[in-house]
Amino acid sequence: MAEHTVASFDEDLRQISRLIIDMGDLAGAMVGASTRALLESDNAMAQRVVSDDAIMDARQRELDDRAITLIAKRQPMADDLRSVVGAIRMAGDLERIGDLAKNIAKRVGSVGVSAAPRDLSHSIDGMAQMVLIQVQAVIHEYTAGDATALAKLRNDDERIDVKYTSVFRELLTYMMEDPRNITACTHLLFCAKNLERIGDHVTNIAENAYYVLTGTQLPANRPKQDETAMPAPAA
Amino acid sequence: MKPMLSTDLNAVDTTVEKAKIEVKDLNFYYGQSKALKNINLSLPERSVTAFIGPSGCGKSTLLRVLNRIYELYPKQSAEGQVLLDGKNILDRSQDLNLLRTKIGMVFQKPTPFPMSIYENIAFGVRLYEKISKAEMDNRVELALKRAALWNEVKDKLNASGLSLSGGQQQRLCIARTVAVKPEVILLDEPASALDPLSTAKIEELIDELQAEYTIVIVTHNMQQAARVSRQTAFMYLGELIEFDRTEKIFTSPREKRTQDYITGRFG
Amino acid sequence: MSTASSLHQSRKRKNGVMMALCVIAAGIGLAWLALILGALLYKGLSGVSLAVFTQMTPPPGDAGGLLNAIYGSIVMTIIGILVGTPIGVLAGTYMAEYGRFSKLTTVVRFINDILLSAPSIIVGLFVYELMVRPMGHFSAIAGAVALSILVIPVVVRTTEDMLNLVPNALREAGTAIGAPRWVVIRSVAYRAAMSGIVTGILLAIARISGETAPLLFTALNNQFWSSNLNAPMASLPVTIFQFALSPYEEWQQLAWTGALIITLTVLALSIVARSLTGRREDR
Repeated sequence: MAEHTVASFDEDLRQISRLIIDMGDLAGAMVGASTRALLESDNAMAQRVVSDDAIMDARQRELDDRAITLIAKRQPMADDLRSVVGAIRMAGDLERIGDLAKNIAKRVGSVGVSAAPRDLSHSIDGMAQMVLIQVQAVIHEYTAGDATALAKLRNDDERIDVKYTSVFRELLTYMMEDPRNITACTHLLFCAKNLERIGDHVTNIAENAYYVLTGTQLPANRPKQDETAMPAPAA
Repeated sequence: MKPMLSTDLNAVDTTVEKAKIEVKDLNFYYGQSKALKNINLSLPERSVTAFIGPSGCGKSTLLRVLNRIYELYPKQSAEGQVLLDGKNILDRSQDLNLLRTKIGMVFQKPTPFPMSIYENIAFGVRLYEKISKAEMDNRVELALKRAALWNEVKDKLNASGLSLSGGQQQRLCIARTVAVKPEVILLDEPASALDPLSTAKIEELIDELQAEYTIVIVTHNMQQAARVSRQTAFMYLGELIEFDRTEKIFTSPREKRTQDYITGRFG
Repeated sequence: MSTASSLHQSRKRKNGVMMALCVIAAGIGLAWLALILGALLYKGLSGVSLAVFTQMTPPPGDAGGLLNAIYGSIVMTIIGILVGTPIGVLAGTYMAEYGRFSKLTTVVRFINDILLSAPSIIVGLFVYELMVRPMGHFSAIAGAVALSILVIPVVVRTTEDMLNLVPNALREAGTAIGAPRWVVIRSVAYRAAMSGIVTGILLAIARISGETAPLLFTALNNQFWSSNLNAPMASLPVTIFQFALSPYEEWQQLAWTGALIITLTVLALSIVARSLTGRREDR
């Protein structure tokens, strides 16, 4: 892509771009660390995730400032305008991802060491890995300009939803088996929900990124396979 | 279940707008050199169309074909068709003076006639209409009101048109153009010689006028084109590169050259 | 650095020298003007009296005035202007408006410039051959024709120049409102160039007021009062010519007075012309 005639415009855009990449990296790190801390009951790691969230918030505020200043100063058009507005939205989603990871990390103490049996750990770990891959992929594909991959990534969210549904059922079963597990499992339920929400935010980011790259919106009907809120079909 | 709001943002705008001016296969020559190459364009009525493009792209040339003002100069010629309400105005038999009562033009540099403000406006009206003094007074007042100039000059209608400020002179030129009741108004960079406040007043004027007139504006200020027009044509080196709704051109244009120009990546 | 300052010094010196030369040259020019005006006033003012404007040119030795000469000059000048101005303005209009891009305009402009500086005696001879010979006698009308031939190039030049100064955008604005060509010229271009064109006419008057040679061959002169255009008529320049070379004192005095009158008239016209131009530039 050709450079702007006014070079400082390119520099401004690059700085915003760098912030998005940083925030993306941080989001991935926080999601990975929080789920690791949850499954290994690592309180120290959980603490680090909580303090990382402050950095994420600061980055988002900085990006907001830079973006608004750029709009006022440069009156960006077409792809420049889309990328700046897209960056503002993506930063919002990334910051939310950070909050959700922090929320998971905060529950590490409540879940405790004894809580999860091997299978459940395995399921949650599996879900967490899916989410982590999505988080890492979305920013990478945006930077690479791969719109097709972004569309596919958005549709892949349905797998996370399916996984969440099964984790939900597992936790219910576990709680019904032994009432002493209810506290820990409820926390784990929230953590699973948070992971599913992180997946949804990644979908948002993918949709924004697609619009920035192509100028058209992805079709509105995002496949939603989270069946936990829908009533069971009549027998 | 049917969703409450149906917004398909990728839908094409299918409202059929009546075309006031249709340009078909237009080629324009300065002597031997071709300044406009095969232009095809349809300008909808009662809305504002903007022509943008870098210097020398032909946007002013194209504008000046529409009222055939290039005929004042030798060695400038046009071939092709320009249909005003279906009638080809490039035809030999077209009466040029009558054409220009239907298609008015405002220029970059304000050009009030060396007469009083009243006379400036009455001049054009008198050319083709014989009306009483009282009627003429009304016409002048109406035209000045339309151009948002009445309040500033109503007490000095006999003062010379040249005694006004730049912004006022330009509005006087617009009032003069509007007074002869044209159907189309051509604006050739009307605000480029004016300060920001006068420019804003002119833009507001254009906004109001488009309810009644078909307006074509040439501007090198892209933000202005984005603000005032409903559709925009991007030209480069005598060719029409892209023509579309203004919001589309400025948020996601189809052509790379358009994109490069409006984002400042040209050159 | 010493080189810089010595360069600066030498430049200052050169500047001073050039400035002094220019002032001296201007002074010399102005001095001559002052001398001429001074001589005219000194010699001519004493002869100014009501009689000069009421009595005819006298026979040698008698007292008299310049009435017939003044009248003759005025009449022939006016006719010359009336004949020459329309031709000049219309020709200038053609060159600047209708024929702006034609080859003919270039040719006419060239010929006009030659005519502008043609020796006026040749014009006089030309009219002599054209009118005086066939008519068989000198006449005021022939004099007026000769003067009009001198008026035409001046008016053509100024009209064309002034019309060319009218910006094209103004013409386009007039055309764009639907005005036909001649209405644009009449109502827009002429009005914009008016003060310049009038200046041109005034300058033409100033020029022909003092022309002697063409009148010598056409209107000749007349000792007596005559308002007959078909007969020789007196004029100030020719009268001055005749009286100044004569040995009679009264005649010489009248010559000086006549010269003063012409000079002051031309001066007044030039000042008016200059003030009209000045007003235009202020705008």
